[in-house]
Amino acid sequence: MSDTDPSTWRPLCAAIDVDIGTPMRVETEGLPPLAVFHLEDGFYVTDDTCTHGEASLCDGFVDGDEVECPWHSGKFCVKDGTATAFPAIEPIKVYRTQVVDGRVCIEAHSAAA
Amino acid sequence: MSTVSLAGTEQRFTCAPGDTLLRAGLRAGIGLSYECNAGSCGTCKIDLVSGELDDLYPEAPGIKPRDRERGRRLACQSVPRGDCTIKSRVADTYLTPNPPRRATARLESTRDITHDIREFAFRVDGPAAFLAGQYAMLVLSGAAAPRAYSMSNTANADGFWKFMIRRTPTGAVSRALFELPPGSTVELDGPFGLAYLRENSPRDIVCIAGGSGIAPMAAILEAAAEHEHVRHLGAWLFYGGRGPADVPAIADLLATHHLERGLEWHPVVSVPALAEGTDWNGEFGFVHELLPKKLPRPLPEYEFYFAGPPPMVEATIRLLIADHKVPQAQLHFDRFF
Repeated sequence: MSDTDPSTWRPLCAAIDVDIGTPMRVETEGLPPLAVFHLEDGFYVTDDTCTHGEASLCDGFVDGDEVECPWHSGKFCVKDGTATAFPAIEPIKVYRTQVVDGRVCIEAHSAAA
Repeated sequence: MSTVSLAGTEQRFTCAPGDTLLRAGLRAGIGLSYECNAGSCGTCKIDLVSGELDDLYPEAPGIKPRDRERGRRLACQSVPRGDCTIKSRVADTYLTPNPPRRATARLESTRDITHDIREFAFRVDGPAAFLAGQYAMLVLSGAAAPRAYSMSNTANADGFWKFMIRRTPTGAVSRALFELPPGSTVELDGPFGLAYLRENSPRDIVCIAGGSGIAPMAAILEAAAEHEHVRHLGAWLFYGGRGPADVPAIADLLATHHLERGLEWHPVVSVPALAEGTDWNGEFGFVHELLPKKLPRPLPEYEFYFAGPPPMVEATIRLLIADHKVPQAQLHFDRFF
C-alpha cells in the first residue's frame, strides 16, 4: 500500500473543478457532507457543516488557511480543523487528503467524526 | 404594507411600514432564524432575491461587506421598500407561544437594584404574555435605535413588564431611561428571545449572570419556583461583579421561597481592590471559574441559563462546551454580540 495506491483512497471530485478560494461541497456515502478546499499549497478536506450552527462552510469565505462560516462568522483552520474564532469552539473534522490521478481523494477508511 | 415572500415556499407575510423583516415575520408566526434582534450576532442573515430594503444599521457588526456583496442582509435591520422576496432559514424553534406585538408602555415605578442597576416597571394594556427569560425592544422617542432588554419578571395578568437596566456612561438609551419621569410612555415591542426556562427539562437549573444579566435570571428562577414540577429541581445562581457594590441583595430581589431545595447563591467579585475596606467575605475571580468548583455533579448533568457582558458569556460557553462537553442544547443565552 502506498500513498498513491488507488485502493487506499476514495475519490471525491476532479481537482480541476475546485477553484482556489471557492470550496466545493461533496456528498459521499457513509460520511457527512464534506468541503473540499483548494489552497495555494494544495487540497484539503473537512466536514462541511459548521460545528457551531449547522451552516455549510462551502457558503463561507476562505482567507489564507482559514474558512469563515457564513452564518455567525466563526472560523476554522482548514489544514488542522482548529476553531480559530468565536463562536466556533469545537474543531471541524479534517480528512487526510491526496490528489490521485487528478482527483481529490480522502483515505478510503475515513470515518465520520 | 409590503408583502414579503419566502423563495421556494408558499409562505408570505405582510410587513407594516417601518417594521423590520424579522419582527414582521415573527409577528406573522413565521420562524425566521434570529437571536439578538440588534444587528450583532448574524443569526438572522437572509438572501435578498428581489425587491429593495432599507438598512437601519449599515455598520452592524453581524454582517460583513462581502456578505452584502452576495446579496445578504440582516433581517433584524432591514425594512422593505415594497414587496420583496427573500431566502431565509425558517424553523419552528424560533417561535414562542406569544408572537411579538408593539404596544405603548407607561413607566409606573422604579427601584434601585445596585448602585448602577435600576429596575423599571412598565405597564401595557392587557396581560403581559411572555416566557421567563425573554426580552423586549424598548423604543424611546427621539432615540435612534431600539434596545433589547430582558424582562426581570414573569408573565402576569396586570400588564407589567419589568426591566433591570444598567446606567452606562455611553448608552444613549440607558441614559434617557434613567431620566424618564414616571408616567412617561415608550414603545415596547416583544416578546423575543429563545433563552427561556425549559420547563420540560429534568435537569437542575444553573443561572449565571453578570451586571444587568441578573434580570432574565431573576425571571427564570421565579418562574422555576412557581412551576409545579420545576420547583422540585435544584437551583443555583452565580453572579459576577467587579466589586461588592455590584452584587445585588439577592434575598430582597427574588421570590424563590417555593423552590423545594432552596436557591444556592454564589456571588463572586473580580477586582479584589474594590473589596478592600468592605465586609466582603465571598469569592474572588470570574464567575465562570466557580461553576466546576461549586456544582457537585459533572456539568453535562445541568441546564444552564446565562446573561451578561460578552466576555463573561464567551468564557462561560468555552468552559461548558470545550472543557466540560456540555451539549449545546443545554445552554440558553442570547448572543448580543
